[in-house]
Amino acid sequence: MKRFLALLLAASMSLALVACGGTKTPSSSGSSASSGGSSGGSSASSGSTTPENLTETQKIIQQAQTMTLEELAQKAIEESNGKTFYGVGNSSRGKSALPLFIEYLQTIDPNYNMEFDWQQPKNNKIFDQLTADSLKDTGTFAMTLIQDGNQIESKMVQTGILDTFIPKDWADANGTTAEEYEGYLPLQTLNKIFMYNNTGSKTYDNCWDFVAEGEHALFMDIDSEIVGKNFLYMLTRDDYAAWLKEAFEALPAEEQAYFQPTITAMESEAADLGLGADGAYALAWIKLWVESYNAQTDDGPICNTLVDKSATDQFGLLVYSKLRSVEESASVSKNNITVAAYNDGYTGIGGFGYCHYLFVTDNSPLPWTACAFIAYMTCTADGFSAWGKDIGGYSSNPAVAAENEEIYHHQTGGMAEDGTTVEFAALNDAGYDWWTTDGKLVLEDPQYCASVSFSVGSWIEMLTKYSAG
Amino acid sequence: MDPTTIRVNTAAIRRNKIKTYFSKPHNVILLLMGIVLTFSTVAPIIAIVEDTFKIHPGTIDAHLTGQSSGYTIVNYVDLFTSRMAKTNLWTPLLNTVLLAVGTCVVAILFGGLFAFLITRTNLAWRKYLSSIFIFPYIMPQWTLAVVWQNMFNSNAVTGTSNGLLAATLGINMPIWWCKGLFPSLVVLGLHYAPFAYILIGGIFRNMDANLEEAATILDTPKWKIMCRITLPMVKPAILSTILLVFGSAMGSYPVPHYLGLTTLATKYISMNSKYTGEASILAIIMMVFGVAIMFLNQLSLQSRKGYTTVTGKSGQISKINLGRVGKYVIALVLVVVTFFTSIFPIVSFAFETFLPNPGDYSFLYTGDPDNLTTKWWTTDENVTENGMYGQKGILHNETIWNAFKGTIWVSVCCSLLAGTIGTLIGYAVSKNRRSKWANYVNSVAFLPYLMPSIAVGVAFFILFSNEHVNLFNTYTILIIVGTIKYIPFASRSSLNSMLQLSGEIEEAAIIQNIPWIKRMTRIIIPIQKSSIISGYLLPFMTCLRELSLFMLLCVQGFILATTLDYFDEMGLYAFSSGINLILIITILVCNTLVNKVTGASLDKGIGG
Repeated sequence: MKRFLALLLAASMSLALVACGGTKTPSSSGSSASSGGSSGGSSASSGSTTPENLTETQKIIQQAQTMTLEELAQKAIEESNGKTFYGVGNSSRGKSALPLFIEYLQTIDPNYNMEFDWQQPKNNKIFDQLTADSLKDTGTFAMTLIQDGNQIESKMVQTGILDTFIPKDWADANGTTAEEYEGYLPLQTLNKIFMYNNTGSKTYDNCWDFVAEGEHALFMDIDSEIVGKNFLYMLTRDDYAAWLKEAFEALPAEEQAYFQPTITAMESEAADLGLGADGAYALAWIKLWVESYNAQTDDGPICNTLVDKSATDQFGLLVYSKLRSVEESASVSKNNITVAAYNDGYTGIGGFGYCHYLFVTDNSPLPWTACAFIAYMTCTADGFSAWGKDIGGYSSNPAVAAENEEIYHHQTGGMAEDGTTVEFAALNDAGYDWWTTDGKLVLEDPQYCASVSFSVGSWIEMLTKYSAG
Repeated sequence: MDPTTIRVNTAAIRRNKIKTYFSKPHNVILLLMGIVLTFSTVAPIIAIVEDTFKIHPGTIDAHLTGQSSGYTIVNYVDLFTSRMAKTNLWTPLLNTVLLAVGTCVVAILFGGLFAFLITRTNLAWRKYLSSIFIFPYIMPQWTLAVVWQNMFNSNAVTGTSNGLLAATLGINMPIWWCKGLFPSLVVLGLHYAPFAYILIGGIFRNMDANLEEAATILDTPKWKIMCRITLPMVKPAILSTILLVFGSAMGSYPVPHYLGLTTLATKYISMNSKYTGEASILAIIMMVFGVAIMFLNQLSLQSRKGYTTVTGKSGQISKINLGRVGKYVIALVLVVVTFFTSIFPIVSFAFETFLPNPGDYSFLYTGDPDNLTTKWWTTDENVTENGMYGQKGILHNETIWNAFKGTIWVSVCCSLLAGTIGTLIGYAVSKNRRSKWANYVNSVAFLPYLMPSIAVGVAFFILFSNEHVNLFNTYTILIIVGTIKYIPFASRSSLNSMLQLSGEIEEAAIIQNIPWIKRMTRIIIPIQKSSIISGYLLPFMTCLRELSLFMLLCVQGFILATTLDYFDEMGLYAFSSGINLILIITILVCNTLVNKVTGASLDKGIGG
């Protein structure tokens, strides 16, 4: 009956479809869907693309990848002096980085000037905006700073809308070359970590504690911030599923007994979804998480809640940097928060790491300037400074990351002025290396996410989400 | 007779007929508006229908068809028949209908009762109550939702930090009170109650009391008078309220979003990334409701009985005596109620801008002024980390003030365009009352208002995002959409006022050979000045705090409503509260200015 109804509706609307006239298909001029590496999806400009198939922007990118920042800056000055640069990104900080970039170009040519406009769309609109812009011969946006590897892979890179540019200086700092490097160019990795309010007696020393009976994590709804879904997808990858199994085995027997029936029930589901040997542990954790988390509109309100003394024993998975602006008062303190992974004896995943990626649009009106700006942000501490002052965000360039730490001292950011007294333990950022090893940060892999978004993804959508209302 | 002569004459007659037809300005207006409005209403609908068949790379339709472009019906099949149908379609649809119906009920009961007490009784402090009642409509609708959260949330029940009630009095409200359908329909009902108040109040105010008095003389019980006489009299106003509120409530995104209710509007946003085509079907379903309401309205207009006794000529309005004490007691109750719906949110917004952290009420427990700050207003840099989340204070924040300028620009343009076009439509339709084309133009102008805002926004986004025209994040698209959406404010107001004008007035001027422009500017407009200005004022005020319509058409920071929503979502309540105060002050100043200069005001114009 429903199928009939659907067909009937579809048929009744087909007249309107006929009236629509000329069909518009997204430009796929960039024959860029080459296979990519494990960490960052397919790269448009490197790999097997033959020179005769390259778009104009890709040809420029190929040249740009052999140039130093200074050489790129010269090209940018020639190209964009007196013009307006349009950028779009998931981070508002692009707006702070652009004036610094212009100042940098003015150190080379004092007469240089460029207007700029930086847009930050919400509600996943960035993908629609870039898709719509890609339909024009010459686009509005010169470049983008974008998150959510899954959608980037399936909607932006495979369709040829965005091209990856790997700055030479960045490649050198990472001990690779543009040709060898496979994947997208990350500006930084951000971490969302498990934190809890410590004004009560409860402690969380295992990641399974966050999905225990009666627990309700504060978490941005996975439908609001799609990157949260990627966290869940990633848990099903063999290595992360193994971490979950390991953490489960570290639980006391009585706690294991609570989770075991769910894990057992997930074994057939894991097999159906083609997951590895430990897939059932991942699915069990995901199921318990989705069916228990208390959805919030943003990490901001979650942080506001957790730092208040009234939020006894509440916990959440949120962006680490949110702690930066909390002001001490009678009921609010950064010391009301404990970062779970910093606890001695904590077992299991400590959070989720995802990247802000940088791309040149394939119909970029200012491709050289876009490349120079990308190189400036990824290869200099000044260029990264718009993000560098925050804890929980780590430059993808090891040299910049080290310089940034020298400037901002994030690893000792919670120490008192004497340098020895711990004033705010939660603010001592252990750093990227620690988080990705001891801290057991689950890192986003765009290609893996894209590959499971309609298998694991659809399975997750079938779960009944917890509703406090 | 020579056949050639006949042919020439026929042609001449036809020419003359056409010439005569177009010599009347209202015919030209009708023709032009009919064509423009048909395009502006139908084109977005066609665009969104096309989108439901289109294959979108990286989404479910591409996955199911294995193609990255082309057309398919798989979106319909999947939405209606897949295992997700209940989650993605039926539950949100049910919630949406319940929300829209509940909002209408709350708005009509609250607004109607208020209108009755103000207009038909000797209630005390009527002037104060009348002006304060309209405040929730002035404020962006979701701000009441945020106030609701800040008031009733508690660690024990909602799992968040304690709201004001839990923090100060230790009262934990039940979950159904804090989240879901109930708070959503109450908040939206309070927001739209001024519609009911103004429409129903207008009838109560002008209603001839002779009928009720006749019934009283015949010893009819009071409840019977109410059911058989008073309520049928206000039925048209109730239907108008439903007409205005149902579609608006249905397309509201922010209120259900903040209060945790899944509706078609919130589902559209959450499905749009992976189920793009299916999300467009949800938008079409919302539009179908808009069209259905319009047809129901047409039916009710046809069957509506004529109440020729409501002439306003008698001027006899009997006021119920509430008693010496009663009139103060009931007024006091209303003062308390309106305090919580109108004054408290403003006080709480102002207070919020002085808290050290969002939602940090330390000052209330301690009384220590150190737990208050002016940093949210006065900080003039965002380089050092001083608890401002990378933002400058409100007074120095370029984002907020640029958004303010953008909002004013969009609102002024929408108001001028919608007001002028609506007035002309009202005039032209009133001159061709019996013409089918005029009725068509009138209906097609009203249709966008009945369609849920979010669906209209989606349709225009799709329409104007192609290789030829790309208007995303431009003032142009906001002005176009705002104008089309708000023409009904002016056209209804203008039509109703023009219908009151006798044709003789303009005919006298025509005999004197006065040009049309002069007739309009010297006779018609001055006579109906008050209603016409209301037709300009309402689009202006509504545009100032419109979110659902504009949220998909521009980025945050472009206009004040999206900026406000951004700060609310981020939990930076000091900024959102400050913006709310700016909006409220702007609207009040504009309303007062217009009122002083022209005598027109907001509460005279809603729905005509």
